[in-house]
Amino acid sequence: MHNKDNNTEIMLNQIGMVYNSNGKDVTALTNVTLDIQKGEFISLLGPSGCGKTTLLRIIADLLKPTSGEITVGGESPKEARLKRRYGIVFQSPVLYDWRTVRKNIQLPLEIMKVKKSEYDERVESMLDLVGLSKFGDHYPKELSGGMQQRVGIARALAIRPEILLMDEPFSALDEFTREKLHDDLLKIWSKTNKTVVFVTHNISEAVYLSDRVCVLSPHPGRLSAVVDINLPRPRSKEMRSSVEFNQLVTTVRNSFEGV
Amino acid sequence: MKVVKKIFSSKSIVTLAWIIGIMLIWEIAALYIEQIKRTPENVLPHISQIIESIFSDKMVSNNQTALQIVLVNAKDTLLRAGTGFIIGMACGFILALIMELSGIVEKMIFPYLMALQMIPILGMAPIVLAITHDISTSRIVIAAILTFYPVATNTLAGFKAVEREKRELMYSYSASRFDIYIKTLIPSCIPYFFTGLKISAPMAITASILVDTLQGDGGLGCMLSQSLKHAMSIYVFWQIVIFSAVVGILSFYLMGIIEKIVSPHYHKKKAKAGE
Amino acid sequence: MINKNTSVKSSLIKNSRLIGKIANILLPLMLGVVILILWQTEILHKIFNTDVFTLPLPSRIINIIMDNQAKIVLNIQATVMVSVFGLILGSLLGYLIALIATIFPKWGAGGLTIVSAFNAIPIVALAPVITNWTKDVSKDAEIRSMVAKIIVVMIICTAAMSINAYRGLTELKPFSLDLMKSYASDNKSIFLKLRLPNSLPYVFTALRVSVPASVIAALVSEYFAEYIIGVGRQIRENIVLAQYSTAWAYIMIACFIGILMYVILLIAENIMLKNR
Repeated sequence: MHNKDNNTEIMLNQIGMVYNSNGKDVTALTNVTLDIQKGEFISLLGPSGCGKTTLLRIIADLLKPTSGEITVGGESPKEARLKRRYGIVFQSPVLYDWRTVRKNIQLPLEIMKVKKSEYDERVESMLDLVGLSKFGDHYPKELSGGMQQRVGIARALAIRPEILLMDEPFSALDEFTREKLHDDLLKIWSKTNKTVVFVTHNISEAVYLSDRVCVLSPHPGRLSAVVDINLPRPRSKEMRSSVEFNQLVTTVRNSFEGV
Repeated sequence: MKVVKKIFSSKSIVTLAWIIGIMLIWEIAALYIEQIKRTPENVLPHISQIIESIFSDKMVSNNQTALQIVLVNAKDTLLRAGTGFIIGMACGFILALIMELSGIVEKMIFPYLMALQMIPILGMAPIVLAITHDISTSRIVIAAILTFYPVATNTLAGFKAVEREKRELMYSYSASRFDIYIKTLIPSCIPYFFTGLKISAPMAITASILVDTLQGDGGLGCMLSQSLKHAMSIYVFWQIVIFSAVVGILSFYLMGIIEKIVSPHYHKKKAKAGE
Repeated sequence: MINKNTSVKSSLIKNSRLIGKIANILLPLMLGVVILILWQTEILHKIFNTDVFTLPLPSRIINIIMDNQAKIVLNIQATVMVSVFGLILGSLLGYLIALIATIFPKWGAGGLTIVSAFNAIPIVALAPVITNWTKDVSKDAEIRSMVAKIIVVMIICTAAMSINAYRGLTELKPFSLDLMKSYASDNKSIFLKLRLPNSLPYVFTALRVSVPASVIAALVSEYFAEYIIGVGRQIRENIVLAQYSTAWAYIMIACFIGILMYVILLIAENIMLKNR
């Protein structure tokens, strides 16, 4: 029923999610079918209540779907998690206040029982990747919001995951910082070739970053369209004001249902 | 002019002004009492009189000066308070940890933990004495119980306050339970743990002094009662009042200092570095 | 097929919630019953290495409470009156201090540092001093003891209230003060419409600390009072006379007073803060 070519990283088949809230069944997601390719940058876009975060959490094995099936690299999400194939970046940076930036990035390495002798090299390369080499010995509280979120990204990448899951990572940042981080993220992505699943409610952000934008509509949460973004890469600031870009934004905007 | 303004607006100057103000009120009250009472030192002596009594080498009883009596007995009392405090701290932390580890234990014990707060433990001091038959042990036990409660509830609150994302992050790393506790939960609850300690440190001292008053076996509380019954100079009483107040306050600040040493990142400020 | 599957799962969730609620009540109840049984069967005594004389059986304690009802009620009245009056006066004074500190922020904040330092002063040091001070209040020892005890409780309750109320009066929601100023409201209406309602939850935070503290302070101040009355004093007197069963009866009463006052507070809080 599905063409399982070797290039599919995440396969979602008729995923549904029903919550029980105060004795009433609430349908958060229904009938989501989607294949995500290896190395693809894909966005889950939608207003609040459309189930985009729920979908991300199902992929991350933080939630079990109440119906449908999901495989990640041919395995269950749990197996993928146990093999540490996921790197997660949350909306807030969720840094450890009592650890320096360096130690924050080192945290997953400690848990994965990476050899101590490798710590420095791996942490240093991550700091370099996110452009925070000078701030390794600072505490998170000493950094700005944008810098904190970079540390969050570096920490997620430190375990060398194949899949990077990002849950509205830039939504708390101001527009200028956000645009800067967009370009940084795309640079990191092109260097590392991860599969990125990026949750957002910002249409132009989704269009600017993604290969494909999955439009989710609420009540009940469902996949209402998948829009291919065939803008050339690398993407640049100038592109944001191009006709093609704005046409794509309009296409995406028009594909929402019932908002 | 600017410098003067700066000095006056600093916080420590305000606090100092308050301390001077309170001492002033004390002195005015003491002057008034002096006029109307036959034995004003029983009601409110001058601050200078108390200070004088501290440095006086007059023997008050058993060839000891008032200050010697206070310090010798304070050593006993504070040692017991400290022992109880450390035992209570350890028990409180371990209980909070067990409650966090096991939902069943938490459900079983939590209502009793809440009830314990409402039970006047200090009122139970005599019964603890009756059970342990030993004044030293009961002082330690009471101090431990009083320390235990704030530490346990605050530490548990600390565990509960760990952001969901941090737990999820650990889950996504498939971290072992041991790692989750060592790397995330226990370091996160340290500030809450210290909040508990700040509440209980003065309480442990209060408890230890109070239990002293129940039996004539040395200790600050015992001297306090004897001095009140005029078995020795009333200045012993005043010195103990001042001493216990100061030690109580210091114990509170001591916990704050230890906290700062343990977690140095708390007073780091935002760096000026931009994006 | 899918629909059937989901409905089965959600009913499972419902069931597990119900089980959770029952467990919340049943588990602590079970622990309580086990302890009571251990106590009544004297196994508890072996654990603590004590005897039924020092740690009387629950049945004996209940008997004593039943036999001495009139006397016990008298002592309860004395203790409850001291703690309630002390609590009310201390809380009012604390709120007043917070209010003054809000009006004069620079000096007020410093004053509150001092007040919080007072918080660390042991009650044992306080009680005898106050007893001395109130010697001239009345010729009647019962009344002057009562006044002394109320003052002790009052001082204990003041600090918690002033610190929390100050936070409630000053930690306003962002921009709410600017909004009031844009209406050109005077200080009085800023206080009535903004600061007062904002401070209400903080007042209850303070009361959660000071209600149990007021009972403890009342019991302890009774130890040092001239006139022999009150639940706390009875515990002590009966221990001195080696009447442990009676002392235990009063301990149970003291716990009961503490818990009852806390429950009343929680109910009041629920009613007052219903819509928050």
